[in-house]
Amino acid sequence: MAVKATPAVFSAPEPVVDWDVLAARARGLRRAKAVVLYAFLIAVSLPIILPYFWLVTIAFSAKTGVAETAVLWRSMAVVVPTVIALWLAAAFAQSRRQMWIGMGAVAAVAAFAFALLVGPDLHIGNFIFLWEPDFASVVRSRIGEVKGAVQFPNVWHAFGNSILIAGTQTAIVVTVASLAAYSLSRFQFPGRSAMLRSLLVLHAFPVLTLIVPMFLMLYWIGLLDTLFGVILVLVAFELPFAIFIMKGFFDAVPWDIEMSALTDGASRRQAFLSVVLPQVRNGILAIAVFTFIRGWEEYIFVFTFLIRNTNWTMSLYMYWVRDDVMGVDYGVVSAVGVFYLVPSLILYLAAQRYLMQMSIGGVKG
Amino acid sequence: MAKIEFRNVVKRFGDVEVIPDMNLVIEDGEFVALLGPSGCGKSTSLFMLAGIYVPSGGELLFDGHVVNEVEARDRNVGIVFQSYALYPHMSVRDNILFPLRFKKTPRDEALGRVKGAADLVRVAELLERKPSELSGGQQQRVALARALVKEPQLLLLDEPLSNLDATLRLSMRTEIKSLQEKLGVTTVLVTHDQIEATTMADRIICMRAGRIEQIGTPDDLYLRPASLFVASFIGSPPINLIAGEAQGGTVAVNGAKFPVEGASGAVTVGLRPEHLRFGDSGFTGHIVQIEPMGREILYVVETGIGIIRVLEQGSSATHATGEKVKIGFSPENSLVFETAHQKLLPGAHVHAPA
Ligand SMILES: Nc1ncnc2c1ncn2[C@@H]1O[C@H](COP(=O)(O)OP(=O)(O)O)[C@@H](O)[C@H]1O
Ligand SMILES: [Mg+2]
Repeated sequence: MAVKATPAVFSAPEPVVDWDVLAARARGLRRAKAVVLYAFLIAVSLPIILPYFWLVTIAFSAKTGVAETAVLWRSMAVVVPTVIALWLAAAFAQSRRQMWIGMGAVAAVAAFAFALLVGPDLHIGNFIFLWEPDFASVVRSRIGEVKGAVQFPNVWHAFGNSILIAGTQTAIVVTVASLAAYSLSRFQFPGRSAMLRSLLVLHAFPVLTLIVPMFLMLYWIGLLDTLFGVILVLVAFELPFAIFIMKGFFDAVPWDIEMSALTDGASRRQAFLSVVLPQVRNGILAIAVFTFIRGWEEYIFVFTFLIRNTNWTMSLYMYWVRDDVMGVDYGVVSAVGVFYLVPSLILYLAAQRYLMQMSIGGVKG
Repeated sequence: MAKIEFRNVVKRFGDVEVIPDMNLVIEDGEFVALLGPSGCGKSTSLFMLAGIYVPSGGELLFDGHVVNEVEARDRNVGIVFQSYALYPHMSVRDNILFPLRFKKTPRDEALGRVKGAADLVRVAELLERKPSELSGGQQQRVALARALVKEPQLLLLDEPLSNLDATLRLSMRTEIKSLQEKLGVTTVLVTHDQIEATTMADRIICMRAGRIEQIGTPDDLYLRPASLFVASFIGSPPINLIAGEAQGGTVAVNGAKFPVEGASGAVTVGLRPEHLRFGDSGFTGHIVQIEPMGREILYVVETGIGIIRVLEQGSSATHATGEKVKIGFSPENSLVFETAHQKLLPGAHVHAPA
């Protein structure tokens, strides 16, 4: 017969646990952590926000020949407390609703203070380059100098060139990287792993080291001082990393859905287009945004390989504006900077929702 | 509908021979199960049928035509993957519609067929949803609808129930079975779960390491398992295997002697738990565990020759843990295998209950 074990009897009194004390301690610890976190966030966000804020303020307020910084200090007196207040609102809000209300209040107060302190100084005269191609002469004539040293093309021309370079480069990189990454992810072929390794190695070298050979190559194939030449160079340097990123995305797409598409009557190409590609949409979007911005801000290669001023991109335009009128009118330089910044900003804002959730949405079982 | 035939089919991945030599005929309209442990090549066989893998050797025939080289999309095969493989970015309607896109079915007719297939598996109210908004069971039905909408000549199911919870599995089992009977489509079910295979399939193909171990009805496999592997794979709780000796057609195990035609040398006697009973003689041991299983009670008994499981009818235990017991059996219920070849001796099999 089974023998039942007698349970051991504990006679010692249980130690008294004060749950309230424990809870209070945990609460205090959480608070302290939050304070440290937000202090850190304020400390890192201010130095990033401030320069951009100044750039915009200067672009909209500086006047030719006047080196006045008072408006900057006044704007800073608005911005720094605003940033701190926003973080505090986020830190102390008990709910999402409270957070939005707090932030809204801070923003309203800040906008009012800004209008009061900085408002009277604002004007759009510094954006003269948008409608006056020879703005350099105009600006110089204001302080008595006769003529600018640099012959500027129309800014819209430079803008178009930049869009062309960044756009074409993006289209090529996205297409080639998707196809190459798909093959690397799905097919076994001789040299596959060597190729994968070289992709990473290629990305490890500083590209600037190749600037002289690239110059010679472009010269000999006759693509020096052409937009297409620069596009090719940029594509070559951007591709390895883009392929690597895309391979990761393709690797995460289950084979099943592709096989399923094949048995459902699709050809390999149809399966790729209608079933696999939509799964890597976020990856494509990511490399498209990053490649576009990389092409948009490209400076060294365009500076080296483009010579005629009709081939100037926005970065070259910016460079020459700085070179020519900086001493005379930093307001115009800032205004060009703001103009140069806007497309990147719009692109990020538009794609941000997708970039933030850069993961593969699979089917859960 | 199609009759399927494997003739000496071989499949290798690089140097690894996954299927060494497969021969099999599946009749038109039949429901067969490929049963075997994980990694034995069931999915590989299925994918060869679907046209996703090309056989490395031999011939695969649909209705007498060799289809080795025929592309997956030209085979008109419906397949439900273990993961369901629904297209995550498409609504349920577009998922089910997908196979018809390539058949150039007129839009109205296609939508009608989608509706029909969705009704068949009862997902008609889910057509607008995305797969991620469905439960596992619903995803499975959608996958079935997608496989059926093109009216395939062959339906392939790769572990279709393994991702479902126990209750759902039970009802889907019934549903798939009656669906197959209604449509009469030749169906191959891949599973590692013997209960799934025995409850659903007309015939079971039991596989082990790429080879077919036995083909037969569920009864064949249970009552006349061709090998020790099949005997221990089929049946839950598992069969008890006990070493014995045989001489001149007489098997001796634990003092008991009984005649089995052609038995000699080392043998293994297989005894199903439900064929054992407690009595005054037999294997002695003591009960170490009692597992109530609803209408039956499973006793785990530790004896001198190892653990023996005994299944008794009834819903309350008549014995207690620690109790000393003797376990008896009738010779006509014993399966006797040659230990050396692991094969069933002819003349030793369980007789179907009258
Ligand atoms: N594409 C493949 N490449 C290499 N080996 C494979 C491939 N597919 C399956 N195998 C191997 O073949 C064997 C059988 O696999 P599978 O048919 O999936 O087994 P299961 O019976 O579990 O479905 C496994 O050992 C597996 O590793
Ligand atoms: Mg499998």
